[in-house]
Amino acid sequence: MNVGPGFKLTHLQAMLLFALAISIAFGFLSRRKPIERVKYIVWSLFLFLLIGVGIGWAMYPFSR
Amino acid sequence: MAGETSAPAVPQQDSRRDRIAFAIGVAGWLVPGLGHALMKMWGRAVACFLTVGVLVILGAGMRGNVFNSSGNDAFDSLGYLADLGTGTFYVLARALERDGSDVSRAEGDYGTRFLATAGVLNLLAALHAYEAARGRKA
Repeated sequence: MNVGPGFKLTHLQAMLLFALAISIAFGFLSRRKPIERVKYIVWSLFLFLLIGVGIGWAMYPFSR
Repeated sequence: MAGETSAPAVPQQDSRRDRIAFAIGVAGWLVPGLGHALMKMWGRAVACFLTVGVLVILGAGMRGNVFNSSGNDAFDSLGYLADLGTGTFYVLARALERDGSDVSRAEGDYGTRFLATAGVLNLLAALHAYEAARGRKA
């Protein structure tokens, strides 16, 4: 099986998938109750995206 | 006398529990989620298996760099250690990437990060399973 060139993701899509996977893993590992897990996952995902986009914009003036 | 005979039982139990905890940690490293599954923590087991699996498949699919033992510098060696953290999924990543890596494109570079993150995440999960088996946290 070769999935080689199969995945063509934009930077934003890659960041979304990465943040989602890590948030889910962290949420399940660090919290026990389902509602706490959901809260943690949503909050963690939001912060991942906010900080990612924020750092992107912070680098924009130096990108050229 | 009864106290003298029962006293060594506690360290022996601790030693046995440590050995079991170590085995659970190693199992969790070899197969993502297996350590938690052995302790019947099904939600965590499935979450670890799926997140590590998805990251490995995406990373290999984006033709990220799967490092090997013959690295040229410290970064290659660290990358190899991180990739090894996925346990048996390291073999899966190599099998999926028959054409080798392509980090000349942005996707390949992202894929390298996905693979390394999958390994580190799995090591964290295995350590969590080990600690839970020792009764330190759950």
